[in-house]
Amino acid sequence: MNTPEYHRRRQKAVVFVGMMLFQLLLFFTQIWLFVMVLENLLAGRTGMALPAAGLSLLVLAINLWMLKGISDLSRSPR
Amino acid sequence: MKDQLKKDFPVDWEDDHFVTRREFFKFMTLASGVMAAGTGALALAGQAPRHMRSFEPAMICKVEDLKPGSSLAFSYPRPSDLCLLVRKKDGEFAGFTRRCTHLSCPVEYDIQEEEERLYCPCHHGAFSVENGAVTQGPPPHPLPRVTLEMRGEEIWATGVEVVKH
Repeated sequence: MNTPEYHRRRQKAVVFVGMMLFQLLLFFTQIWLFVMVLENLLAGRTGMALPAAGLSLLVLAINLWMLKGISDLSRSPR
Repeated sequence: MKDQLKKDFPVDWEDDHFVTRREFFKFMTLASGVMAAGTGALALAGQAPRHMRSFEPAMICKVEDLKPGSSLAFSYPRPSDLCLLVRKKDGEFAGFTRRCTHLSCPVEYDIQEEEERLYCPCHHGAFSVENGAVTQGPPPHPLPRVTLEMRGEEIWATGVEVVKH
């Protein structure tokens, strides 16, 4: 149990959980942005729609970057 | 037997967990993509020009049917789309949709102390008869205008103009 490999795996597990929680946070932010844009459009206000869409795309880019990081982490020698 | 099983299914418990996590990230990234696409689609829909919508022209009434300082309810473009034709005190005509932009109560033409307005009795909202702008109360945006055209002695509705803000 006290091998370097075991510690490396535990460290990776912590990183995974942290990234998962962060990704959930980002996803909830995207849901909030979507609902906000929808509500404002229905009220006839369009000013914030494009910035919100840009922010949502940025969140998607962060998610893609994290997915790539996770794939690299999983593939790296254990 | 056990060796054969390991050879056929070379995935141990640890690897199984790694696959699950990666799958979770893939799923969340896909969901994130869907949300971004949805927000983008809404933003594009919001940018689409919708100032002026033309419909089949329809005759409302004749000029002499409406005296200055009075109004006439009509439907345009569909029978369920209630509108109001106003002849202001100065004799000019103006058309508006009749649904208050707050909670869709019908607005009415009202003159108070020589001041003309379109008034919603439900929550005391009021709009300008000049351009449909909100002058009082809770309505969140202006009344859409019905564009009018004079054809001889007749007044025709030709489209609906939504004011963006």
